[in-house]
Amino acid sequence: MSMTVLTVDDSRTMREMLRLALTDVGYRVLQAEDGVHGLEVLAGETPDVIVTDINMPRMDGFGFIEEVRGDPQYRGVPILVLTTESDAEKKNRARMAGATGWIVKPFNPVKLVDAIRRVAA
Amino acid sequence: MDPLAAIRETFFQECEEQLAELESGLLAMEGGDTDSETINAVFRAVHSIKGGAGAFSLEPLVRFAHVFETALDEMRSGRLAPSADVLKTLLRAADVLADQVRAAHDGAPEDEARSAALAEELKALGPEGGSAEAAGTEDDWGDFAFQPLAAIEAAPEAGSGAAWRVGFKPRADLYAKANEAALLLRELRRLGEAVVELDASALPPLADLDPEAAYLAWTVTLPGNLDETAIREVFEFVDGDCELEIGREGEAAPADDVAPEFDISALLAKVQTAPENLVMEPVVEPGPRLAPEPATTPVDAAQPSPAAANDAQAAAQRKPDAAGATIRVDLERVDRLIDLVGELVINQAMLSQRVMEAGFARASGVAMGLDELEQLTREIQDSVMAIRAQPVKSVFQRMPRLVREVAAMTGKPVRLVTEGEGTEVDKTVIERLADPLTHMIRNAIDHGLESPEKRAAAGKPAEGVVRLTAAHRSGRIVIEVGDDGGGINRERVKAIAVERGLIAADAALSDEEIDNLIFMAGFSTASEVSDISGRGVGMDVVRRSIQALGGRITITSRPGKGSTFTMSLPLTLAVLDGMVVSVQGQTLVAPITAIVETLLPKASDVHSLGGHARVIAIRDSYVPLIDVGMALGYRAEPLVATQGVALLIEGEGGARAALLVDAIQGQRQVVIKSLEANYRQVPGVAAATILGDGRVALILDIDTIVAVSRGADSLRAEKRLAATG
Repeated sequence: MSMTVLTVDDSRTMREMLRLALTDVGYRVLQAEDGVHGLEVLAGETPDVIVTDINMPRMDGFGFIEEVRGDPQYRGVPILVLTTESDAEKKNRARMAGATGWIVKPFNPVKLVDAIRRVAA
Repeated sequence: MDPLAAIRETFFQECEEQLAELESGLLAMEGGDTDSETINAVFRAVHSIKGGAGAFSLEPLVRFAHVFETALDEMRSGRLAPSADVLKTLLRAADVLADQVRAAHDGAPEDEARSAALAEELKALGPEGGSAEAAGTEDDWGDFAFQPLAAIEAAPEAGSGAAWRVGFKPRADLYAKANEAALLLRELRRLGEAVVELDASALPPLADLDPEAAYLAWTVTLPGNLDETAIREVFEFVDGDCELEIGREGEAAPADDVAPEFDISALLAKVQTAPENLVMEPVVEPGPRLAPEPATTPVDAAQPSPAAANDAQAAAQRKPDAAGATIRVDLERVDRLIDLVGELVINQAMLSQRVMEAGFARASGVAMGLDELEQLTREIQDSVMAIRAQPVKSVFQRMPRLVREVAAMTGKPVRLVTEGEGTEVDKTVIERLADPLTHMIRNAIDHGLESPEKRAAAGKPAEGVVRLTAAHRSGRIVIEVGDDGGGINRERVKAIAVERGLIAADAALSDEEIDNLIFMAGFSTASEVSDISGRGVGMDVVRRSIQALGGRITITSRPGKGSTFTMSLPLTLAVLDGMVVSVQGQTLVAPITAIVETLLPKASDVHSLGGHARVIAIRDSYVPLIDVGMALGYRAEPLVATQGVALLIEGEGGARAALLVDAIQGQRQVVIKSLEANYRQVPGVAAATILGDGRVALILDIDTIVAVSRGADSLRAEKRLAATG
């Protein structure tokens, strides 16, 4: 069964990297440029997993996660935080906001897919 | 293209955007902008470049971006004040970063010494003046390398011993974050043969069951040869949201009482050096059933650090401003569309003409339908042209760096003021503006502005001002480069022009004419060629490149107050409003923008100057009367002036001339087709177009015709000049 993954990242490069890595294993990929855009995309889709960056304009990853978790429809969707920040603070804040897990950039495609498989039913 | 190579290109494109963002943000801060979103955007730009560079293993770039980012983070968190000196350093760092990006793109070597020197300066801005930062960089470094495949596969040999017993009791939070106990158990099973026992004793009767609460607990027995790190990694994401107890079977609760063959120091070392694990150790809740964990660093999640507080503030200030919905389209596709619309315009014109020739009445349905079609075609054309229009910002924003560099080289303090960056013009025009603008700004600082001492003596502030402005004016874009320097030294310019034989020693020239001498080919102030301006490019080259864009450039100068170069350019290179004229049976097009008025010459106004040279009196001045047919070689004998129509035109520098043609056919917008691309360059002809009747008409290059007719009898003279020069 093919899985749908929503990627939220303000960097075009990173979105493309994610798309390449995920389509490579047969996932369907939705893309958004920041939190606000991510919520817009979610209005029409329910992905199996969300992968989001933290540092983004308009609405950052923390805000986005809180919004998603606040909506009963997406409560059960795993959210992986994708960020170069590996410090405890960022991870903890992301988790307090409701993130399911994280991936440290620059990601290895294998690790990325592995992390997604770990949280997706 | 290989998909990864394509992404690499995307990365470099994006870098350019981010570098622009970085610079404009820093400049805004230099100008007093204290908005937290500005510093955030600046930080994000460097951060993104670092992230992408890491993905492509561009290590020098990652390293420099990291040091840069650290300094910006200090500023973002309020620990570093954005003083003028700090911002100057950051701007120079932005320049170095830009060079590094380009070097990485081209695979060229970077200036390591310069990067290293600036990295040191940046580090000095960092926490505790750098020493701690240097160490911090090393520590952080591990996060940027590609991490090896999961430690799960990597370390199965780490000791063997009694079987592992993992006690795992999720809290409700674990489920709220969309983690799933079943998936974790599945992961554990992947490590090795697992025996899972469920403890459902806490499960209430169905009627009392809260679906969002957590009631179940598991105990999993795993083979003793597994590495504890691998087991912990499974619980990486749920750490803090569950009670977790990992120990050897039959082991007493205290962790220091381990099986003898178990190398605790090696394990500790492993756990401590793996940053992931350090970070992820659970917030242990001291409960009677839980063994104290070795090497645990509890993380106090409830107490946000200053940085986090700052982020929270930033998040609170999130501006959900409307997103400018944009799409990216290949330029080729747009150009193809423009081409097709051009063809459509021509076809529509041809159809109109045929319908008229067929004798349909103006009020007939067919003619009216055609009128509507013409209207629509025009609108489509305008809309398609607008796709290619871009704000001049993209070229303007390259200038601050140039100004900084030239200011540093000349030792003149300079402030660049830009205006009208949002003014839009065709992309091609923008691209071809960069070189002339660069040259003019360099000139303005090097030649235009006086030394600080001279300025002080003249009672001016030491800091010179260079203004770069853009505005739309009557269907064209007008770009000005001005300085508040000493103005043109007319005495010297005139002396030089005489010395180079450009003008006669006794020529009586107006101030304006003297100022415009600097545009003449061969005028080079060699006595003061400097490193900055003296790159073998004179103002004549600038003028030619502006003319090649269908533009005009003029200078106005006031002694002691400064000079301003004014360029007027067409908004698009694809269409032109033209006056269609006939000359010796040929149909030609003159750009309307150049035409001041048209008139029927009276015999009494035309005076011969000997040979074929004539002037015509227009009101109270005489202007040269140029026979276009002669100039282009269509006829050997000049047309009698009274048998034709004169177009009074204004060329570059405001010089006027009258072009004599046989008749005017009408006025219309024409689609420009390059003659150079389809045939070759022809002096006196700027381009070609296809008319409604399908015939090709040449578009006149008025400035060349005027310039050449003034200096010689015909364009053949220019060809000779070109051949010998």
